[in-house]
Amino acid sequence: MSLFTCPFCGLRNLEEFAFHKTLPNVPGGVFEATFLRRDTPESSEEHWQHRYGCRAWLRVSRNPSSGDVLEVELLTGMAASDGPAGRGSAR
Amino acid sequence: MSRALRSGRRITAETFEFRFDGRSYAAQRGDTAASALSAAGVRALGRSIKYRRLRGLLALGPEEPNALLTVGDGPDRIPNVPAPLLRVTPGMRLYSQNRWPSLRFDIAAVLQLGAGFWGAGFYYKTFLWPSWKFYEGLIRRLAGLGPAPLASSLPIAKVRHLDADVLIAGAGAAGLCAALEAARAGERVILCEAQPQAGGELCFESATLGGLPAPEWVGGVLAELEARGATILTDTTIVSASDGVAIAHTAPAGMPGSDTLLRLYAPRLVNAMGAIERGIAFIGNDLPGIMLCGAAERLLADYGVGVGRRVVLFGNHDRLYHSALRLRAGGVGVALVVDVRAAPASAARAELLAAGVECLAGHAVLRAVGGSAVRAVQVAPVGSTRAPRHIACDAVLVSGGWSPALRATVLQPWQSCGAAAGKLTLAAIVGDAAGDGEPQVQPYWRSPASFSQEKRQFVDLQNDVTVADLRQALAEGFREIEHVKRYTTLGVGTEQGRTGGVLGAAILAELSGTALATVGVTRARGPYQPVPMGVLAGTRVGAQLRPARRTPLHDLHAAAGGRMELMSGWLRPRYYAGNGADATAAGIAEATRVRAHGGLCDGSTLGKLCIAGPDAAAFLDRLYLGRASAIAPGRARYAALLREDGMVLDDGLMLRESATRFLATTSSSHLAPVLAHLEFHRDTEWRGRRIALTDVTECSAVIIVAGPASRSMLQEVLGEAWREPLAALRHMGFLDGAAADGNALRVLRASFTGELAYELHCRSASAASLWAALAATGLAPFGLEALDILRVEKGYLTSSELNGQVTPQDAGLGAMLRPTADGAPPDSIGCALLGREALHAADRPVLVGVRAADGRAAFLGGAQVTATPRDTRSLGYVTSAVFSPALGEFVGLALVARDHANPGNEVVARDPLRGGDTWLRIVPCVHVDPDGARLKA
Repeated sequence: MSLFTCPFCGLRNLEEFAFHKTLPNVPGGVFEATFLRRDTPESSEEHWQHRYGCRAWLRVSRNPSSGDVLEVELLTGMAASDGPAGRGSAR
Repeated sequence: MSRALRSGRRITAETFEFRFDGRSYAAQRGDTAASALSAAGVRALGRSIKYRRLRGLLALGPEEPNALLTVGDGPDRIPNVPAPLLRVTPGMRLYSQNRWPSLRFDIAAVLQLGAGFWGAGFYYKTFLWPSWKFYEGLIRRLAGLGPAPLASSLPIAKVRHLDADVLIAGAGAAGLCAALEAARAGERVILCEAQPQAGGELCFESATLGGLPAPEWVGGVLAELEARGATILTDTTIVSASDGVAIAHTAPAGMPGSDTLLRLYAPRLVNAMGAIERGIAFIGNDLPGIMLCGAAERLLADYGVGVGRRVVLFGNHDRLYHSALRLRAGGVGVALVVDVRAAPASAARAELLAAGVECLAGHAVLRAVGGSAVRAVQVAPVGSTRAPRHIACDAVLVSGGWSPALRATVLQPWQSCGAAAGKLTLAAIVGDAAGDGEPQVQPYWRSPASFSQEKRQFVDLQNDVTVADLRQALAEGFREIEHVKRYTTLGVGTEQGRTGGVLGAAILAELSGTALATVGVTRARGPYQPVPMGVLAGTRVGAQLRPARRTPLHDLHAAAGGRMELMSGWLRPRYYAGNGADATAAGIAEATRVRAHGGLCDGSTLGKLCIAGPDAAAFLDRLYLGRASAIAPGRARYAALLREDGMVLDDGLMLRESATRFLATTSSSHLAPVLAHLEFHRDTEWRGRRIALTDVTECSAVIIVAGPASRSMLQEVLGEAWREPLAALRHMGFLDGAAADGNALRVLRASFTGELAYELHCRSASAASLWAALAATGLAPFGLEALDILRVEKGYLTSSELNGQVTPQDAGLGAMLRPTADGAPPDSIGCALLGREALHAADRPVLVGVRAADGRAAFLGGAQVTATPRDTRSLGYVTSAVFSPALGEFVGLALVARDHANPGNEVVARDPLRGGDTWLRIVPCVHVDPDGARLKA
């Protein structure tokens, strides 16, 4: 996984992105969301930021064992082509 | 040896001289060290690592195990360069390795006599009495390959990035076909070839493809590939590949010096790296003059070098005869071809016999005889016990078959083709081709020998691993090939089992009675070939690895004698020479002067973030402690930022410029995490709201004017227009106006020193003149050392205290957590988790001030704090400690367990490595001017 697709910028080098954290998949409140985790080897939901590019925050669905990236979407859930209320389109 | 000009595919007629072990030799442009020295009749190129036996050239590629030379003799010499890769240049000085005092007379060669003692794993059983240390010095001098360099004069490697649809490793017949197919299908192709020219084995085989002679076919393919836009890289080896990116290394000189590092992005990888010839183990098979058959053919075709006048070929396949014919055609005298197969049937063999060359079938070479080079072989029928025939010769060419380039498994994922996939005939690879035909290899790994003679049957020539070592490893219980590798050192070193790996595995299989497929081969790990570390670093060295940022006032600091240090990526003045002999003395002097009169400091490196938009105020209320929405325009407030788990991320000032525009300051090192934190929350919970976040750190320079005289000096410099406003400016307020040159200027009254102080935010263009004008009034600059003294005296916080594990209550910021005006608890990010039990435990560290109990002793930041000098339970640690000139003693801040942190309590600062133990007394955090009278003057 040395290349990464940003919804705005397209296929970019992994070095442009910064990993933030893996999301837990346990239900609960603030405490559970911050501290309790159960990592699974076949899938992982993560927050990444395109730090050295458009600085968009992304939700990435990944297979940590093989490194395959399954899904990349903006963290806001909005589409990259939304109007000014969102982030606006880049291309 | 004749000095007539040689002709070959890779050399030109231009001649020059170079030196090897002090003697001068002739070479032609394009020669490698191996070819030039072979042409000059030099057989011995080095000595082996363990037994220090004389060794010569075996192979003509990176798989060469022994002919490793050192280039140069200064501190920047380059060791371990394979002779067959090393392009010779005029005046080059080369040296053999592993010998002292000379190649001919090596003192350590006496080690061969005790060969029985130095078998596999000898270091586990010997050199034990009286202790290893007794022998260590001598062994270290003998061990290893070439001498390491002490300095480097190599230039920085260039870096290139290329991307394509398919990356093909190897430009032989299979690689060229694969590239052609891909290019014709419209794919973008990168073709990598480790040799200087594409073509591989085709270049010296007398083959025809599609009716064309091989070299012409190769030329045509290359032309078509270039016309179709393929990238062809020669002298380039792929070092590793995974996850869609391959790292490749171009080394046109054959040694470090003009390297290029390539990052190749291609989703599909094709391995066409071919197969490597392997040898056969017989007694004395390591003598100089014994080499692989393909190496001799290549020496002749590429460099015009004949390896001998009476050459014996030994092998187990049909290609031997084709090679013999080609060598004879090139002027090399072939005395004998020894084939282990009982009934070989090959047209080339018939041709050879007709030419009068003796060809023995069903025979094997038992032994090579010679001292410093081979001079005869002993040959006998396979399986016979009769006395062997003695045949004089001056070179032995061995070929036991070919092993696919197994190291290619470091390239993932790949599909292989050609010889790498086991196809050994051109017809199988190309189709419409006529080459040498199926070689009909019959496996043959070693000639018979007695147990003691097996000590001279070499399997791995780089590590001196013999058949006897493999037998010993088996006897000692090592069965797995990976264990055998580590115990006998079979396949370690630069050669990594290229020539000896499969041979060793097969012999192990024979000795243990298992199948070769069960024994297997060792797993290959990257890099594929040795690469200098500097090449892998590419351009990320020195300033490109860690660029130093400079403020607009940098030159003024340097001119004033500032000692600049790299902190958080910025060059900042730690102190100014002339104020003291070292940082501590200068810092004390500068701090004293600030409190007495005043001083200037460069604060440009502090982070500044602009938060603007109609929803900015509500956003900041939720992110920061400090109620940003309640700040009036033109005023500033201290604010702290919490992480989601309640720990303090950073602190700084929050300035309100208007109803919808704020400026937040951060510490120099925390700008990036703070901005990312704000952006994250803006993009999640606050999506759709109108909030703009901008990093404006570099938009203005910041000059700090601090001290009792600061206001009057500032009024003097800024002029009449600013006199009244400055006098009326209250603490934590700011004014926006214009500097003398008309550029925008903001004056913020805020202090990190505890004195009456102002921060001037101005454009970079105004900074130097403003600083100079202020300095002219008598305000002298002070550096970070002095700033630290002043802020510790006042108990102000930096990242030393806010270490990521400190909550607002721990840091004394609990007042910021008061409920909101309508009584609701604070609900900023992080507040919810502040209620956790552990954060209110009785022994959780809280920030306190500390002084020496005796009022005199020194203590340092980092010292652990315990209740008594013998306690082992740490109550916390001293976060900052300085000598306070205002108080004449050491003062500091510490995190100490709450149940020991009562003012007046005494604890011990433990510092065994630096100063020993010091009794400390807990005091309030603010050591100097606790009422803030100087601040609010």
